[in-house]
Amino acid sequence: MGFGKDVKSASLTFPNVVRSRLGGETISLCYQCGTCASSCPVAKITASFNPRELIKLSLLGERDEVISGDAIWLCCSCYNCQERCPQKVEIADIMYALRNIAFKEGYIPDIYSEFASALLDDGRIVRVSRFMEKRRPSLGLPPLQPTGVDDLRKILSATGFDKLQKKEETS
Amino acid sequence: MNDGKVGVFLSDCGNVLSEVLDFNALVKYVKEVSGVVLVERSSEFWRGEGLQAIIDSIEGGKINRVVVAEGLPKLSEVNIVQAVEEAGLNPYLVEVIDLKDHCAWPHREAPSEATEKAKVMLLAAIERAKLLEPIEKLEFPALKSALVIGGGIAGMQAAVDLADLGFEVNLVEKAPFLGGLAARAGRFFPTDDCAICIQSPASDVKTITHTSRKCVYRSGLSEIRNLNILTNSTVTGVEGVPGNYKVTIEKKPRYVDELKCVRCDLCAGVCPVEVPDEYNAKLRTRKAVYMNIPNVHPPVYVIDESVCKFQDCAKCVDVCPTGAIELEQKSEQTTLSVGSIIVATGFQEFDSSIIKEYHYGDYPDVITNLELARMIDGFGPTGGAIVRPSDRKPAKKIVMIQCVGSRDRRYNPYCSSICCMVSLKHATLIKSNYPGTDITICYIDIRTTGREHEDYYERAREMGIKFVKGRPTEILRDSGTNRLIVDVEDTLLRRFLELDADMVVLAPAMVPADGTRELAEILGLELDEDGFFKEYNAKLRPTETKLRGIYICGGVTFPKDAPTTSLHAHSAAIKSAKFLTTGKIVKDQRTAIVNEEYCGDCEFCSVTCPYGAVSLVQTSEEHFVARVSDLLCEGCGVCVGTCPLNAIELRHSRPNQMLAQMGALMSANGTGKPLILAICCSECGHTAVDSAGMAMLQYPANVRVMKVPCAGILQVHQFLEAFKAGAQGVMVVGCKSDGCHYEVGSENAGKKVELAKLLLKEYGIEPERLGMFNMVFIEGDRFADAARTMTERLKGLGPLKLAGVS
Repeated sequence: MGFGKDVKSASLTFPNVVRSRLGGETISLCYQCGTCASSCPVAKITASFNPRELIKLSLLGERDEVISGDAIWLCCSCYNCQERCPQKVEIADIMYALRNIAFKEGYIPDIYSEFASALLDDGRIVRVSRFMEKRRPSLGLPPLQPTGVDDLRKILSATGFDKLQKKEETS
Repeated sequence: MNDGKVGVFLSDCGNVLSEVLDFNALVKYVKEVSGVVLVERSSEFWRGEGLQAIIDSIEGGKINRVVVAEGLPKLSEVNIVQAVEEAGLNPYLVEVIDLKDHCAWPHREAPSEATEKAKVMLLAAIERAKLLEPIEKLEFPALKSALVIGGGIAGMQAAVDLADLGFEVNLVEKAPFLGGLAARAGRFFPTDDCAICIQSPASDVKTITHTSRKCVYRSGLSEIRNLNILTNSTVTGVEGVPGNYKVTIEKKPRYVDELKCVRCDLCAGVCPVEVPDEYNAKLRTRKAVYMNIPNVHPPVYVIDESVCKFQDCAKCVDVCPTGAIELEQKSEQTTLSVGSIIVATGFQEFDSSIIKEYHYGDYPDVITNLELARMIDGFGPTGGAIVRPSDRKPAKKIVMIQCVGSRDRRYNPYCSSICCMVSLKHATLIKSNYPGTDITICYIDIRTTGREHEDYYERAREMGIKFVKGRPTEILRDSGTNRLIVDVEDTLLRRFLELDADMVVLAPAMVPADGTRELAEILGLELDEDGFFKEYNAKLRPTETKLRGIYICGGVTFPKDAPTTSLHAHSAAIKSAKFLTTGKIVKDQRTAIVNEEYCGDCEFCSVTCPYGAVSLVQTSEEHFVARVSDLLCEGCGVCVGTCPLNAIELRHSRPNQMLAQMGALMSANGTGKPLILAICCSECGHTAVDSAGMAMLQYPANVRVMKVPCAGILQVHQFLEAFKAGAQGVMVVGCKSDGCHYEVGSENAGKKVELAKLLLKEYGIEPERLGMFNMVFIEGDRFADAARTMTERLKGLGPLKLAGVS
């Protein structure tokens, strides 16, 4: 990897962008010991996700690689890494921070844009099928109440959530 | 004092200053000042003819106050003060100022302004000199004896040094045997020789041949007449003052007479109580009556009272051939009087069981470095064999984990500094004795910073010891085979490894020994945020504490290897000896004094004093007053700044002296720029002004410097007084708050300034007119910069409008 060239093209302020985000404040404490990666159930089954590497890439300013890739969406939020990190780096929270940055930039995986439109439609991120609704009484659950989606829409519109658009070229 | 006859001596530094300053005008000005009876000008006054002129005029009775304007006053003042004293005048009636670095050099581009400033500087010095009062020198007796707390390497070395120098030394050790952590370490790097030997408190006086080292058991430690060794003992109380401490010591019963025991081992032979031997990593058992290993000091058995059945058994009493066993022994309290104390209580391993995912204490084959050291020690429980504790079979696959609880913000954020070397030493020792052993070291960074230390790392790699850069997340145990699996990412390869191991060795952090906090409280000393004792100054006074007479050495200040510990111990011993050697402490009385009439016994001063010099004394049934110990007081004035009733003053920096100086410095301007009073502490603040001048950095002459012992002496109303005296702005210049020479002064001053800003606002004064600046000596540029910035700021604000003052 042509280190010098890449650093030049990369956004040097990216670590600061992450630090300024809720959850991203502790990123620069990382000293790359790998406790997070060896604690991670996802990293154990796929080479596509390694929290240590994502943090390193972020600290090197490799913004585009980090936020356009799939990796940040693979964290399962078990918080094992965060529990065991000797530097108190809030790794799982950093993943949320990175996702938020990516989302804002339009890098939105399909499943998440479906969640988003579902949320705007009826206030739930998972669409409830008629089959599921029918089964509720047999499990002793009350029928689902309306979510008050109008109020929710107001909030989502005030925060700009409904304006977030997926980038054309990403899929 | 109105009878002050002031002599003013103006040095023009070989006429170079007259290029900037108009000395004729200065002489003329000074002659007019009331109280001045003599003005002389010469090229120098700190030596030779110039100094003789000062001496002559004192001896002739012409003057009784001396003001000298001389270059480099922090050096020249010493000579001048000494000469003044020899001439028969109290040496504290001298005021030396610096017209070169504080005036001529920094204002050389504006000579007439510099001359005007020089006038008021001289006036301020004269006004202060007139108000100065004689200060007495006091002598306090110091006992020529010392207490050394802790009998590890550090304590033993320091104790023997002091004993060899002829002082009465008491060495107190909490455990029944000397040696401390060091004795358990098996072998030491960088020489790989045995730990029990290297702790060599060999008395230079007692040893006929000077060998490189002497083992503890043949060093004749107990034969040194002026060294009193108290094992099984703890310090429970310390009272008194430097030079004269009363120390209470509780000596637990040994139940064996030290003078009668002949180490025949018959007692242990019949003792029916068998318990796991903690000293030997529980790898073997010991009896209730025991010695740690055969070559301990003192070479006397001890009975573990927590497990002994005493009179219900007493078999040992019957079998002892010398009648040494005394089951009726009781705890004894003794009081020692010592002049000086050395704290050498060391460090210990962090309790790794707190880190649940490593299962220390849960899986028997997960051990620590110290436990491994016991196996490596030939005197240890396995006789040098490296075995799995669970089944005592040879450990053929070993994984070592570094930084267990070190560099870990959940436990200890610091690097424990020796564990990399300890693990490398252990790994190479095992590998050379048992070459077939498979050893992997999991590390975050390998740190080998000492001489010959890197050789260990190199040798380890050559020997085939494997290194994985990664911190394991967990140690797992295969429920079928009971083998251990270390789950780690090799971060260099980006590969997850599951390392199979017979035994896992943790390299735990090194933390202060148990009881460190309690001891600090007994001594009245503070610990750092990691719980270690704090040096007075880490670079120049590494064994001193803020209390004179109390010294620290070894691992009690931070984890250290054996060579560094020895250095530290010798250093502490020489400091202690220096303190004790004359048998007295000489101190001048530039200390604080309480006006008892005003004192409201609020305790602020005694709580704030960094030296514990102020105490409350009962004067009547309900009334207490603060009283200052001249021995303990360091003369910083932090108490003065804290007292809400102005009941404390420093004898050498009285408020009226400061006020007179302020008034003089603000009495004339001559620059057309807003006057600024820069109140500088005598340590970094005032010397930063020196260094600005030395470097000839230019700043405007409207900045007038006033020296105080420490910025902590300042009170809020003094800022108002400065404005009333004519200042348009006030700068407070102190040391960096973490580098304050009086611990808390700079920090307190900063708070005072913030409080004053609020008050100024109330009075309608812009708070920006007041500012706190922190700098060190070499930051003259920062002072010059601050002076310029402040001047510009005040120009922008316009003239000060003070209610009630025209």
